[in-house]
Amino acid sequence: MADPHQPDSGARADQARVDELRQRLRSLGYLDAGVDRFVLGPAREARRPLAIAALASLRVGLLAAVLLGPAAAVGIGARLPNLVTGTSDAVVVALYLAALFGVAATVISFASSLIVARIPLRVIAARPQFVARLAGVLVGATCLVYLTLWWRIANVDAAAIAPAWTAFVLAIAVGISLLLGHAASITAFAVIAASQDGAARRVERRSAWALTAVAAAVAFAGAAALLLVTTTEGAEEVRPAPNLAVVSPGVRVTLIAIDGFDPAVLASLEPGRVPTLARLLSGEVRLHAGVVRDPAREWTTVATGQPPDVHGVHGLETRRVAGLQGSVTSGDPQGLASALRGATDLLRLTQPSTASVAELRSKTIWEVAGDAGLRAAVVNWWATWPATQSGANSPIVVSDRATLRLERGGALDGEIAPTSAYDRLRDEWPRIKEEVARSVGGMLPASADAATREALGRAADVDAIQVAIASRLGSPPLDLLAIYLPGLDIAQHALLGSGEAIAPSELAARLEALRSYYGYLDRLVATIAAPRDDGLIVTVAQPGRIATITHGLVGATGRSAAADQKGAAQMRAVDIAPTVLYALGVPVSRELAGRPVLGLFSEAFANRYPVREIDSYGRREAPAAGREGQSLDREMIERLRSLGYVR
Amino acid sequence: MGVPRFFASYQQVLDAELARLVPDAGTPVQRSMAYTLLAPSKRVRPVLTLLCAELCGGRSAQALSAAAAIEMVHAASLILDDLPAMDDAPLRRGRPSNHKAFGEAIAILAAFALLNDAYGTIARAYEPPLASRLAALLSDSVGIKGLVGGQADDLLATDQQIDFEMLERIHRGKTGALFVAAATAGAHTAGASEDAVAALAAYAKNLGLAFQIIDDLLAVEGEPARTGKAVRSDARKTTFVSFSGVEGARMLARELCDTADRALQPFGRKADRLRELSAFVAGRNL
Repeated sequence: MADPHQPDSGARADQARVDELRQRLRSLGYLDAGVDRFVLGPAREARRPLAIAALASLRVGLLAAVLLGPAAAVGIGARLPNLVTGTSDAVVVALYLAALFGVAATVISFASSLIVARIPLRVIAARPQFVARLAGVLVGATCLVYLTLWWRIANVDAAAIAPAWTAFVLAIAVGISLLLGHAASITAFAVIAASQDGAARRVERRSAWALTAVAAAVAFAGAAALLLVTTTEGAEEVRPAPNLAVVSPGVRVTLIAIDGFDPAVLASLEPGRVPTLARLLSGEVRLHAGVVRDPAREWTTVATGQPPDVHGVHGLETRRVAGLQGSVTSGDPQGLASALRGATDLLRLTQPSTASVAELRSKTIWEVAGDAGLRAAVVNWWATWPATQSGANSPIVVSDRATLRLERGGALDGEIAPTSAYDRLRDEWPRIKEEVARSVGGMLPASADAATREALGRAADVDAIQVAIASRLGSPPLDLLAIYLPGLDIAQHALLGSGEAIAPSELAARLEALRSYYGYLDRLVATIAAPRDDGLIVTVAQPGRIATITHGLVGATGRSAAADQKGAAQMRAVDIAPTVLYALGVPVSRELAGRPVLGLFSEAFANRYPVREIDSYGRREAPAAGREGQSLDREMIERLRSLGYVR
Repeated sequence: MGVPRFFASYQQVLDAELARLVPDAGTPVQRSMAYTLLAPSKRVRPVLTLLCAELCGGRSAQALSAAAAIEMVHAASLILDDLPAMDDAPLRRGRPSNHKAFGEAIAILAAFALLNDAYGTIARAYEPPLASRLAALLSDSVGIKGLVGGQADDLLATDQQIDFEMLERIHRGKTGALFVAAATAGAHTAGASEDAVAALAAYAKNLGLAFQIIDDLLAVEGEPARTGKAVRSDARKTTFVSFSGVEGARMLARELCDTADRALQPFGRKADRLRELSAFVAGRNL
């Protein structure tokens, strides 16, 4: 006996016919259906398939732009926190992404609706609504997968998110996906109807509401399953707040970073010519150097104990996207990427910038030391601008742009933190300049030609300023001072890095000039590396930009250092940070790629202070949005260009 | 369901104006014109013109000539539609069709005379800029994209299997175009904004199609005494009912009327009379 509540097949067929006619009427500009009217509105008068596809696809693109742009901006903000530093950045990124998704959706919708309209198969041609719906399902499913994965990526600590909140977000994602899928479907249908001259008649389906409800339920379940799978696969443990209890060995560490250092040149110098460097690097512990000779990349690895993929600084030269505070690393693009970079520069969509804190995702040793309550300072290290002061124990940061600011004066734009340090250094600046002028004037070899003297003078000026600044930060005493000295690399690059053929006599003269710089550097370093009872000098010397050698040197001197460090044999750049933190009594994070090299320390020290570990130093917070003071972006680029860092 | 109560006052004004413009006296052509123009009618289109004028802040008296012109065009189209060369309809508005009463030649001439009088009425009643605008509106609704085009398509479609889009095109030309012209003409006489005109055009477009769907339904199941036409007079033609079935056609007509009402949202409660009109169309004789 037939169930009276079940519609018979005839009633279903009638309903299907009415559904189809309703859709056709919408495509002809009748009925009011929100999205349908919006999508097909401009196509009402156009009866040719191509025109309908084009006009409707533009509207689909607009819908996608409005819906997906902001969603993707949130996602990319989580993925690249350094790019989005505030609300205005988020808005600009959303606009960029909206344009991107809008164009993509327009093209996809246009292409797919034309393709399905021309499918020659008889079965498909006889069921145009099925084909149109298939196009909609594909678009909707793609959108939903994207949004679900976006949510997963945007929330690394997914386990900590309330299920209700996730369900809410998924429901939104399902809504967006259904909407876009529906828009693509009606576009395809309108095009099919126009191209088949109304041959589309036979339809088999349930009522639209029932189908929509089923589709929403299936989509929600699918998205939840996808989220569950990806969360299970990539679930990360929720890290507790770092406990940085210091077991102080009473050691004050000075980390001296020398770039452009060649161990062979050091070995070739007459005994006694560079006594301080010889003392600091007497252990002959080899430092394995990376293949990529980018100073920002290499020295950030030293400072963080993490490889570039983790710490985020991939290269000295970055790109600032128009309208954004943040920046993205451009690396060393070749081919198409290089052309694209040139094009975006030409269009002023991007402009060259330099590595900064904006790219940095890992904590540096001075930041960890600050977190541990130690007094730390850093001078002239790469990727330290903009310097921010986030708490009472924040380190003193004299960034790689500090010299420019001190030269020009005016309000800070993140060059030095805290402000009191800037005030002090600005007061001292005239004396620093005098001191540097005397120092540099006395080092220039009289026999060298003008170009060589100029190159050496420029390099010496940079190093001398950093040392002079560092020597003024030590009151009250610092637990950690990290200083980066690029002069040797600058000089080496200027004298030998041009790539031009050099006559042997000229080459010999330049090498001698370079050797003389080693002597000058030795005297400079001596002022900050004087032996002290509680001092540990860790010297890291890397090959620099033009050397072909694959290793530098590391040395540790002080009462806590081992007399014979040959046991350490070889270190990696990522080992420096944990080694320094160990020396300071700070527990070492298991997240670091490197480990403390105990061979640098005396046996008594190593026995007395075993390595303590913690899970994590915590996540590095993105720099606060907003900049004050006059920007020195352009001056910094020019300065780096004059020193040979940027082409 | 009968016409809304407020219709009566508008109908009286319109009947009086039409009788003034085309008196039922004189030559056979004049009497032929009046025969169809003054025949009992709901005057849906000219009332629509007056209502839209009032909705947009104008006075119905100012829109009266435009409303009369709309009705003249409509009457002319009825005469022509009923001709043997066209639909060959014997009845119209409950009476013998015009050509049955006056002969084909007179009927044709009467139709042309009504069309000309429509343009003349507008030209005499309004200042040139508005008259020009209304004339263009009327011309569009009569021309190849309106009544003439719709009727031509309709003739070609007789005894032919046509698709839904063709049927819509026919109805848009034969019915929808004049509905849209009626609504927008009223708005223009009141100096309405472009947004208001567009909203009223959307209202009229949906209402016009709903009106035609109901007409198709009436052709299938209406009483001749109420429709004024012989039932199944459109049997040789494809209608909405052919595509959707009776219940489906009713459903779509209601939805179109709902859509028409939604187009009136910008006007708020002021558009209640137009809503009553769409409710009347939706429930007409059903």
